[in-house]
Amino acid sequence: MGYTITEKILARVSGLDHVKAGDEVMAKPDFITAYDFPGYTDVYFKQMKEDFGIERVAEPERIAMFIDHMVPAATPKEEELHIVTRKWCAENNVPLFERKGIGHQVASEVGYAVPGAFVVHFDGHISQLGTFGTLAMGIRRNLLEALVNEKISIKVPHTVRVNLTGTLSKGVLARDVFHHLVREMGPASCRFQVLELGGPGMAQLTTEGLQTITGLAMFTGAVTAIVNPDQARLDYALPRARKKLEPVYSDADADYAKVYEIDLDALEPLIVIPPTPANSRNLSEYLGLELTNGYLGSCASGRLEDLEIAARILQGKQVAPGFQLNVVPTSNEIMVAASRAGYLATLTEAGAFVSAPSCDYCFGRMGAMSANQRAVSTGTLNVRGRMGSPDSEIYLCSAATVAASALEGKIADPRKYL
Amino acid sequence: MALENLRGRVAFIFEEINFDVDQIVGVKNIKITDIDELAAAAMQSYDPDFRSVVRPGDLLVGADNFGYGHPHYPPMRAMRHIGIAGVLAESFSPGYWRGEISMGFPQATCPGILGLVERWDEIEIDWAANEVRNLTKGGSLPIDPLSNADRAMLDAGGLIGYLQGKRQPAA
Repeated sequence: MGYTITEKILARVSGLDHVKAGDEVMAKPDFITAYDFPGYTDVYFKQMKEDFGIERVAEPERIAMFIDHMVPAATPKEEELHIVTRKWCAENNVPLFERKGIGHQVASEVGYAVPGAFVVHFDGHISQLGTFGTLAMGIRRNLLEALVNEKISIKVPHTVRVNLTGTLSKGVLARDVFHHLVREMGPASCRFQVLELGGPGMAQLTTEGLQTITGLAMFTGAVTAIVNPDQARLDYALPRARKKLEPVYSDADADYAKVYEIDLDALEPLIVIPPTPANSRNLSEYLGLELTNGYLGSCASGRLEDLEIAARILQGKQVAPGFQLNVVPTSNEIMVAASRAGYLATLTEAGAFVSAPSCDYCFGRMGAMSANQRAVSTGTLNVRGRMGSPDSEIYLCSAATVAASALEGKIADPRKYL
Repeated sequence: MALENLRGRVAFIFEEINFDVDQIVGVKNIKITDIDELAAAAMQSYDPDFRSVVRPGDLLVGADNFGYGHPHYPPMRAMRHIGIAGVLAESFSPGYWRGEISMGFPQATCPGILGLVERWDEIEIDWAANEVRNLTKGGSLPIDPLSNADRAMLDAGGLIGYLQGKRQPAA
């Protein structure tokens, strides 16, 4: 019996010839990533010093810090948090990426998505590095273990393999594919396991589309998602890679806990109704529902292809009167490319409010909704209160659906505009 | 130190699958940090008298995929303050599980638990035998064994104690 890509990566970082799902190992992450957030990084810095006597980290190049939440700061207290982070990074010689974009995207751009690497973060959306064959896990508070010890304890997860087949129809995006997986497989289908994507249908998905799908893996219960990287993914990741590693791939006879065959042929645009990401529905069932807000951005969207399709839909038109559309490119690299391509001008002329990259729209720190407002959103999550008042509502969907809905001020089908 | 068995009453059963624990205190209260305020907010939409009827050591029971969504720490901080000693569920969402184990808060996966117990039954979680027993009505079910690391973390009272017990060279 062969090994999965996950087992191969965890074997290497555990210093073992091979490991199998279910083994408990001590693994040394190649990279430890985090964004500064109150109650997380400020607490880690304090605990490292006071509880573990660590004045300076031993291998600063293994750590990457991002400042992407509370950007720009709105209160002195927020700026003070950033100052603490900047100071800690400077003292420890740890690379800091500030005002570069949403960290989970920037991490790929600046070379932490090394094919074959093991990366940890406290936030689970780091799973999107899996696009490039990187095993990237959110381990919540346990990130402290990686910061104070060389190795972390981990149980090698089983893998659920998803084989995609078929062709995507016009107006159906990677975002729809992800919510289709949740609907077909269930929100607990991959609990404590790795979601491995493959099959001939992968050719339908761009690198950006795969970042969307792998970044949302937690809503299938998965600890992360991963892809066996093809040439396009390697061409992106290898020139940027901060570590030289041989990419690894699942063996043809690897042992999977379960294999799903998912057909993309008949897939329609989907919408996820509040208050949980488990609620995937056909968009067609909700057409015409009145809206006040739209958000195109987050680590699960806001990339070039999302901005392109939104610009195509809104080109020469106007957002519905009274509708607030916030567009937030995911990173500076993406914002510059979208700017040069004219997408941001098109979106702005159509009435969108275009912001520089920030995480803040996704969790209601910016663009907050009041009671009884209702949004379509490409953000990560639609739980109550995620984007403002607990009595506002969030419908998750693709960038195309957000753009079409912005035109009508109601939930709308993007296919008629494409 | 061995993990002690938990013995207490089933103080509440959350029957909803994919239960989002933030609902325990209500999303509008999720940013409260004062523990008394949090405890006062807890369970208001489920059982307003909850706080006064719970006894220290009581337990919670949940359905499948308990803790799904985007779990925060305050709801279970409040529950511990009220006296809840642990959670049993049909199954757990991994993010929630990892977070609460790191807080040293015992969690046990027990497929079939909803059929074994009713509210206010006295139950016991036996970590050595890996089973849960209904002391009121009789009957028992196996629980999924904890991983070595999870057990060690609970033994140590949470992440900090666990890590202090096994210092290695730092990153």
